[in-house]
Amino acid sequence: MNAAFARCLWIARLTFLEAIRQRFFAFLFLLGAVLVLSSGAVRAFDFGHSELKFIADFGFGGLFLFGSILGVVMTAQLFFAEIDNRTALTLLAKPLGRGEFLVGKFLGTWAVLGVFVAVLAALLAVMMGARAAELAELAVERRLPPPECDLLGLAVAALLQWLRLGVVVALVLTVAAAARTFLFAVVVGALAVLAGQLQWLSQELLLKPAEAGLGRAVLWVLTHLLPNLQQFNLGDVLVLAPTQVPAGTLPWVFASGLAYIAAFLACAAFLFRRREI
Amino acid sequence: MTAGPAISVRNLTKDFRIGLKGLKLRAVDDLTLAVPRGQVFGLLGPNGCGKSTTLKIVLGLVTPTSGEISILGLPSATSAARARTGFLPEAPYFHKFLSGRELVRYCAHLSGVPSGKVEAAVAEALELAGMTEAAGRLVGTYSKGMLQRIGLAQAIVHDPELVILDEPTAGVDPVGAAAIGRIIESMRARGKTVVLCSHLLGQVEQVCDRVAIMDKGRLVLEGAVADVLERRDRHTVTIEALTPAALAAAETALAAHGARLGAVTHPRRSLEELFRELVTGSRDA
Amino acid sequence: MRRLAPWLLFSALFLGVGLLAEQSWRRVRLGLPEIGRRQLEPTVGQGVLLGVLGGFRTVVADFTWIRSYVLWEKKTDRAGTELLMRAACALDPRSRFFWENAGLTIANDMGHWEIRRRGGYAKVPKDIQDHVLRGYARRGLDLMDEGVASTGGNAALLASAALVAELQLKDLALSADYYRRSAEARHAPWFAARFAAANLWKEGRRREAYDWYRAHWLKTLRLEEDGAPDDLKELRDMEQELRLPLLARLPLQPWEVAQPGLSTKPGDNVTTKPPVGGQSRK
Repeated sequence: MNAAFARCLWIARLTFLEAIRQRFFAFLFLLGAVLVLSSGAVRAFDFGHSELKFIADFGFGGLFLFGSILGVVMTAQLFFAEIDNRTALTLLAKPLGRGEFLVGKFLGTWAVLGVFVAVLAALLAVMMGARAAELAELAVERRLPPPECDLLGLAVAALLQWLRLGVVVALVLTVAAAARTFLFAVVVGALAVLAGQLQWLSQELLLKPAEAGLGRAVLWVLTHLLPNLQQFNLGDVLVLAPTQVPAGTLPWVFASGLAYIAAFLACAAFLFRRREI
Repeated sequence: MTAGPAISVRNLTKDFRIGLKGLKLRAVDDLTLAVPRGQVFGLLGPNGCGKSTTLKIVLGLVTPTSGEISILGLPSATSAARARTGFLPEAPYFHKFLSGRELVRYCAHLSGVPSGKVEAAVAEALELAGMTEAAGRLVGTYSKGMLQRIGLAQAIVHDPELVILDEPTAGVDPVGAAAIGRIIESMRARGKTVVLCSHLLGQVEQVCDRVAIMDKGRLVLEGAVADVLERRDRHTVTIEALTPAALAAAETALAAHGARLGAVTHPRRSLEELFRELVTGSRDA
Repeated sequence: MRRLAPWLLFSALFLGVGLLAEQSWRRVRLGLPEIGRRQLEPTVGQGVLLGVLGGFRTVVADFTWIRSYVLWEKKTDRAGTELLMRAACALDPRSRFFWENAGLTIANDMGHWEIRRRGGYAKVPKDIQDHVLRGYARRGLDLMDEGVASTGGNAALLASAALVAELQLKDLALSADYYRRSAEARHAPWFAARFAAANLWKEGRRREAYDWYRAHWLKTLRLEEDGAPDDLKELRDMEQELRLPLLARLPLQPWEVAQPGLSTKPGDNVTTKPPVGGQSRK
């Protein structure tokens, strides 16, 4: 194995161990799990959707919300813990490149979020699978078609959420690499994620035919500089109506997510290169 | 390979920009310094004189404004140079959830020790730092002295040619400081170059071969300890059972040869020597 | 320039990745329900933002609907009720429930709220009342049209729109068109084809009504499990009234011969009564 990659993995391992011990992680993890498990109980609030859609929305909503909070806060926290506690001083005095340090931090944080997504998605799969089986029995009795519930689609949707969180982590690392304080990194990181989540609005505007002009050119540049985080929210569609996703879409989404991660990490490494520890 | 100094610093200047207006604060001012190989080199100076900044620049943790630095003939701030260097920062802080052994093992991997040799290297570093017994305990339970010693172990686990120690005895009791002093001496015995930054001047005097003193970012003195401390125009004679008559006779005899008795005092032990004499065998635990 | 170079390079890199993401988004958006941005803008500060961002969209839509329902019960804040109902629709545009109930509320209730706000039925002249009621009916129908587009032509929603067109707008041709589209959609309600034909018939387009109903029966209804005997009976009545020559009529079905009365044919559970009061061809 390449020595540089091995060093990245060691940093990732330590970051993972540190993150998994954080109370903040445990708190949001439990909150997300409770939310997913309670989706079955509160489906009585539902209006006119299929029950499965409601459960899926609850589960993916939990993944989205708590995953985003974890992605922003935990990334900044794990980064600044190294800087503020001066452990980075010890680590970076070793033959460890700054880019390797950042990639290690990224991989460690992303791995923790992977655990978060995997467990919550597994709980969601159990909830949905159980209810789908009950509804299928009812449907047979009523001579109705059984409800659609594609658990493989759920796995793909969970992967997409994890990819989105990867983009969030890389983005926040970029902010943190330039930020002086933890608070600044969290606030600016959260705003950047928010902007990325709403980027599709301007993307949609650009897709509509309109006359070219300076304003449109500026909008085009700004839109393409911001990440589109909405493209990963295919959760309920992939599970409940997988045929609605046009063929060949997923490779594009995965390629785009990985490209964002690579670009943000490159930018973070550049910003961190000259940072004084 | 003994050619060239372990560390060579030429015309190093470092300015920090402060505040929104970007006012310049000069931390290191045109410093030129060479640390010979195989010696223990003391870098001294008051707080804020630029010692730590100099060390950080040497290790590539801070970018110089101008100047050239090389470590063991390699450009500073390269991975290759750092692979041959060990560093113990001032007041080190390590991940508390690791045991001492896990921490040193982790640092061995990061420092490029081949996987097959990691366990032996870790055991040797722990032994040298006197931390073998406490290696299974979590770092979070260590005393200050133990933290410094486990810090030393992580700095030397990859058997570096150059070891930089920034205030290794800060906050450590005299017995612990003496133990660290012994570790430094054993490193010198192994042919390592040690750069020691310390406020314990007595210890620096004891273990260092050469010293450099910095003030306000500038080098004010550099040389072998013996050379810079010895006053060749003065002599000390220790006399037992000196009587007033003997003193008067000695003064007369000295005057006959054109010499003059400067002062007559009783020799003193240092408090550190007294402390170490009284508190024997006590180690951090 | 040297200091700017890396930033220009990174800008180019992000623009490149942005173009890749645009290609991805062009595909993804086809699978996602389009959120009505315009409808959401006024409500974004009211907890709807979370739904717009991508999480809990169904849940947020539900709670938005509950809030609209609270206002609906008070019957005083028309604008607020409509705003929240539209927000619920925009948040979960594939839900028939929101479009249908929002459309019906606007079309059936809000006109009356408006008349009451202007002083009540005694004070507002009849022609103004009609104008207001029709205006809101049209407004509700427009919302339902949006819903039809968002739900991929939901049959039940089209049937509700047909009802509004018939009862509130008194536009039988429009109602017939909605019923026809409903009958041709997936999971069409059993009455949609019959009412489409009936309303066209009442509009005076009797031959057109028969032709479409006959074609639809042959193409779709005949294939149903019970063979749609009630619809065939309606068609036979139409043929009678149109005085069609025997050869121009639908061929006699085997089960018609066995049970000429039709009403006791397979589908005993099929009622001949229309689901909504007063609606029939005659």
